[in-house]
Amino acid sequence: MTTEEISLYHARALAAAGRLRLPLRSRVWRGQAGEFQGAGVGSSLDFQDHRTYVPGDDPRHINWQAYARTGQYTMKLYREEVRPVVDVVFDASESMFFDPEKAARSAELFCFAVESARRSGAATVVHLVRGDATRIVPPDLIASHQWLNDARALPSADSAAAPDFSRIPFRANAIRVLVSDLLFSGDPEPIIRYLSARHGSPILLVPFLKSEASPDWAGNYEFVDAERRSRHQHRIEPSVLKRYQESYINHFALWKNATRRHQARMARVACEPDLQTALFAEAVPSGALETAI
Amino acid sequence: MISITNPAGLWALLGIPAVLAIHFLQRQAVTIPISTLFLLEKTQRESASGRRLDRLMNSVPLWMQLLGVLLLAWLLSEPRYQKARSTQRVAIVLDSSASMSVVKDQLIEEITEALPDIQGAATALEVTLLESTPGRPRLYSGASVEDLRAALEEWRPRTGLMDPAQALRLARSLVSREGIVIYATDTPIEAPFDARILAVGEEIENVGFTGVSIVEKEGQPVWQALVRNYSKNRSSRTWQLEMPNGAMTEPKTFDIDPNGFVTLQAAFPDGADRVQLVLSPDDFTLDDFLPMVVPQPKKISIFSATGGAYEELAKKLQRSLDSTVETYDATDADLTILSYDPLDPVQTTGNAIVFVRDDTRGGAYLKGGIISSPHPLIDALNWQSLLVRETIQLQRRETDNVLLWQGSRPLIFLREKEATADSPASRQLCFNFDLRLSNAATQPAFIVMLHRFSEQLRASKVAPATEMLESGQPIELAASADPEAPALTLKSINLDGKTTATDSLPASLRVKVTAPLDSGFLNVSQGESELLDASVYFADTREADFSACAKDNTLSMGSAASVERHTEEDHWWRAWFLLLLLALLISWHFTRERAAKSPAGNQTLTPQLK
Repeated sequence: MTTEEISLYHARALAAAGRLRLPLRSRVWRGQAGEFQGAGVGSSLDFQDHRTYVPGDDPRHINWQAYARTGQYTMKLYREEVRPVVDVVFDASESMFFDPEKAARSAELFCFAVESARRSGAATVVHLVRGDATRIVPPDLIASHQWLNDARALPSADSAAAPDFSRIPFRANAIRVLVSDLLFSGDPEPIIRYLSARHGSPILLVPFLKSEASPDWAGNYEFVDAERRSRHQHRIEPSVLKRYQESYINHFALWKNATRRHQARMARVACEPDLQTALFAEAVPSGALETAI
Repeated sequence: MISITNPAGLWALLGIPAVLAIHFLQRQAVTIPISTLFLLEKTQRESASGRRLDRLMNSVPLWMQLLGVLLLAWLLSEPRYQKARSTQRVAIVLDSSASMSVVKDQLIEEITEALPDIQGAATALEVTLLESTPGRPRLYSGASVEDLRAALEEWRPRTGLMDPAQALRLARSLVSREGIVIYATDTPIEAPFDARILAVGEEIENVGFTGVSIVEKEGQPVWQALVRNYSKNRSSRTWQLEMPNGAMTEPKTFDIDPNGFVTLQAAFPDGADRVQLVLSPDDFTLDDFLPMVVPQPKKISIFSATGGAYEELAKKLQRSLDSTVETYDATDADLTILSYDPLDPVQTTGNAIVFVRDDTRGGAYLKGGIISSPHPLIDALNWQSLLVRETIQLQRRETDNVLLWQGSRPLIFLREKEATADSPASRQLCFNFDLRLSNAATQPAFIVMLHRFSEQLRASKVAPATEMLESGQPIELAASADPEAPALTLKSINLDGKTTATDSLPASLRVKVTAPLDSGFLNVSQGESELLDASVYFADTREADFSACAKDNTLSMGSAASVERHTEEDHWWRAWFLLLLLALLISWHFTRERAAKSPAGNQTLTPQLK
């Protein structure tokens, strides 16, 4: 994938971010001053409540009209405005790039998550994970479209293994956006638990290919594993294909159930249609994204 | 039952491994990248690599192509169904020549083995077994292979070389145009009447007796046997003389060149009636035995009544004939040499040669063409140089048979008289001119004629004789034809004198007898009267020569017509042909569809960063 191609995918993500965004407004935040409604009292213009003055309160917020009427010092309380916290995690395993369409969609989803968080003024940290290797991506690398090289250069003992999220320093109260195809074996429960820890709100954006979900295999194949590059001889009978499809469905059903239990949101994004169509079709209904209007 | 008309069509079945190989190779070529291998391996334990043959199953083009190959093989092999109640008629003509005795066992095996193929698609087989010798009865006729084999075992080929055309014509008429005629022989020929050849002969090295004669040397009979080597190689053999009591002489060895002859000779043992010369055996044993007796022709008693005129001629004639005795009693004579003098006519009632005696010594030479009548006595004799003067003539009767004419004058005639109650039959050869006034005595025809007449008289005489005969030799025996005369008894006897076979023939003046086909001895008698005592030996050099023998087999000739006659075609062949086309179309359709969405065609491996 060339820099120009990544730049193109970035542009598509920007366009999509204009119409869709992460569901930051649907929850109450705590944190640094920012644009989003905080959980506590702040210095915004939005009136929230009255209370009796106690020494130490800012005299600028004393309601003098009420004092004139009642002779009691009454304080005006205004709603707090905070900056949301977003941790973007990108699964850089080879299965995300083995197909040109999937590679493009993965890059687009990554750029979309980063740009959407950035547009919301969120404090965004981008993590790359590849098996047991993790890395934080500096913002300038994303801006210069060089992040993919770092992603694929991550040294991993076994890139086919499940991503090790325990190595990622997730921030508290953060929205954690995971861009991954989830095509690794293992129980999704501990992974979702990691993503949900410390009041995290996981959002899973999962690119997938139709050829993965419902392949038209029939006959003899020599499959080349995208992760390990190993070759495997297989004879695909209709019955085998049927069992494969059932297994595929069961795999993602496990993830669905796990995300539902942890109130996480998961959207499987098809690689074949364009980005916005795919996001509107998959991510908006599932609540993983919301419209920007 | 289904029969395959064109077995070569089954080669089309080689398409099955070809199709399997093509599909096998095609399946190996599909290589695609995959991101969900862990899901596939979890669900597909049975698809692990190493079961290459299983990978060929359940492909529609594969099954359609295999079906197409099977249908193609079926169509090309032209299967036919057996007709109900079809009979294959077969006539086997056996070459009955003696040389077949060498290959008889092999021939039986080959015929027995060939019969199922000859029957072919027919439901039944009807076999007629004949010999090539005309006039012989059928050896077998029926449908049983076991009985046919038994008849073949009983068959004994002993005759000489014979043209099989007559037997093949008979065989063809027996089985009609649709039947099969087989000529079983050891020497391949171009057989007529659409006959097939089963020749089982081979060139073998044979040495055997070809003939024997017994001469008298110093008053002692000496046998002389001729031995021939028919092979192309020099050979060494031994011979022994076997006596009636079983004793045998010491074996004597001799060498014989390729295609060479050796004459063996020794004195006939004193006091022995019969002996047998034995050669060390080879494959063809018929000519390795030579039974012998000392020939003794019937004696003819000659009485001369020429009055001195033909005394010298009578003596010469007597000397030139074998086994004659002179007699002085006309009633005992078998042959009377008589001169006819009209002044002193002497008549005789028995067999006689009559000359005219004309002492006038006059007369001119007769003129006119000399013409002979067709008669065995005068057949093929040349009389054109005969010069005869006019002499007195015999009194010719109307019943006389003129043998030679000059102009209108009869020169020689035969006077025959039937037997009566008082006198036996007689023949008189009458020369109607004076021999002394002609050059007849110097004419070969005259001498030969006298000998022929004498030998005819000898042959017609009922008397014992001893002869050496060849096997199967036809002979005529004179016997008593009296109404009360007993029948003739023929006995085949061996060297010990034991009778091995007996036959009987009705009595008549001339009894035709055929010598046995096997070597041995023959005795013919009529009541108490011995008529013949003979040895019989095999001496057919054509049969003993195996240089022309070879193998040949044209039994499969014309089998297609036979199959067509006894079977009917598969009426569904058009349906099979359409099914074949349909299978190919389905295969093509699925192959094209598969190629259009082949993962090998439009998928690549992981794209690399540039």
